[in-house]
Amino acid sequence: MHTITQLILDNNVAFHPMMGNSYKLNETGKEIIAYLKEGQSKDEIIQTLSKKYEISPDELFIDVGDFFAKLRIYGLQQ
Amino acid sequence: MHYEKPTINKIDFAMGSKYGSPVKTQKIRTNIAGINVNELTEKYGSPLFVFTEQEIEDKYNTLYEAFSTRYSDVEFGWSYKTNYLNEICRIFHKLGSCAEVVSEFEYQKARALGIEGKDIIFNGPYKPKEDLKIAVQEGAKIHIDHLFELNDLEEIAEELNIQIPVAIRVNMDTGIYPQWSRFGFNYENNEALEAVERMHQNGKLILNGLHAHIGTFMLDAKAYGMATEKLMHLKAIIENQFGYEIEYIDLGGGFASKSNLKGVYQSSEVIIPTADEYADAITNAIYDNNRSKKLPKLYLETGRHLIDEAGYLLSSVWGYKRFPDGKKGYIMDAGVNLLYTSNWYNFNIELDKRYEGENELSMLNGPLCMNIDIIEENIMLPPLNRGTVLSISPVGAYNYTQSMQFIRYKPAVVLIDKEGNTRVIKEVDDLDTVNYKEV
Ligand SMILES: Cc1ncc(COP(=O)(O)O)c(C=O)c1O
Repeated sequence: MHTITQLILDNNVAFHPMMGNSYKLNETGKEIIAYLKEGQSKDEIIQTLSKKYEISPDELFIDVGDFFAKLRIYGLQQ
Repeated sequence: MHYEKPTINKIDFAMGSKYGSPVKTQKIRTNIAGINVNELTEKYGSPLFVFTEQEIEDKYNTLYEAFSTRYSDVEFGWSYKTNYLNEICRIFHKLGSCAEVVSEFEYQKARALGIEGKDIIFNGPYKPKEDLKIAVQEGAKIHIDHLFELNDLEEIAEELNIQIPVAIRVNMDTGIYPQWSRFGFNYENNEALEAVERMHQNGKLILNGLHAHIGTFMLDAKAYGMATEKLMHLKAIIENQFGYEIEYIDLGGGFASKSNLKGVYQSSEVIIPTADEYADAITNAIYDNNRSKKLPKLYLETGRHLIDEAGYLLSSVWGYKRFPDGKKGYIMDAGVNLLYTSNWYNFNIELDKRYEGENELSMLNGPLCMNIDIIEENIMLPPLNRGTVLSISPVGAYNYTQSMQFIRYKPAVVLIDKEGNTRVIKEVDDLDTVNYKEV
């Protein structure tokens, strides 16, 4: 959680000053980062997105899970 | 609201400030094999693929000599996918290559060029059964990729009431990454031996060859030594255990060409093994590991190494712009539609003459209405004119065969023969070619 809060967003690019890395995000990706910064859990994020986009939580579970996997690969999430 | 699957991708700045060249350095190529590049585009149009027979022959002879002086029973199979323009295939066949094909279409192409079935190596994971049957009847060398194909072949053997000589493709760990484990049967986990055992039980196929293609653009000759050692080891076990005689081993393709890979800053001359190094690795491993009375015949399916540097793409500047970030953007008449390998090569880009002015950071874009149509994202160039002809090389391998019919017509291809004559070997496409077969 700690690392995510340090991400600085500028348009579609997020910069992590301590790691010195930049990341390209799409709209939904940016949204998830924002929710994570607010402290929402993965399940809460799935619920939020499900209501907003009218997509089944089962489908979102896969997509959000994949996104979290990327975050872990990049060392942005434990 | 519109939902898009969330994505995050790390941006790679590893290119750093290595855009190169001092302010005044210009790379210039006024001619290809003695023929002026501007004359070529004036006569045959732009963009234009140009191949030189001499460079093909020189490469072939160097590689063939490296092997044949060490190992007498060696034959090259021209890898059709690498470049299957008929005239290019003809040159390789004239030099002594048989054909290596990976689809029914390539098989038919080789046959249409007069190559007999026995001189065709049929590789690949997808061989339609009816085409496989034809290849069997014509005596082609079939390299089995998976068990379904093995079953198909046994059925064909039954239908034809014959025993079919076959080879299997083997994949293995040769210390390189990524390992191509998708094709053929694995060596380490015994899958290959099990397949042979399975074949042996039914007695409809006769194993007479072993094949491995460990990857493409292999920068380590030692990997071939290891692959050869493993094939020879497998050969000995198979001959011992099943009584088959393995008449040949085929080490596939993959020798590097002198192209500059993206992200690699040493010059290609430094990092690419020589023909002798590849030949040493393979032939030494055969001699060291031979347990039979007879040495196997050696096949190679070298593609890119033999053709890449013999191919050029001439492309002309159509216009230019100043981007908001200050970079100069050139619109070229050729783009990624013709330069499939731009994904992983930094091409050698040469000007048709010396230009006035200092180099500035520029970008070369193609004619497609797509943001990704980039030939070179960062290149130091002097101010060029509309009509300036750039030579882009090496592009002899895979670019023509993988070029797309997309937005613009596929260009003409010209061959410069050994006597210095130029001739069109493929005309520029037109509406009829594009519409052909539409109903
Ligand atoms: C089975 C096989 N043989 C030969 C080749 C030619 O490889 P290269 O052009 O790297 O020499 C390939 C290319 O993918 C291949 O798949």
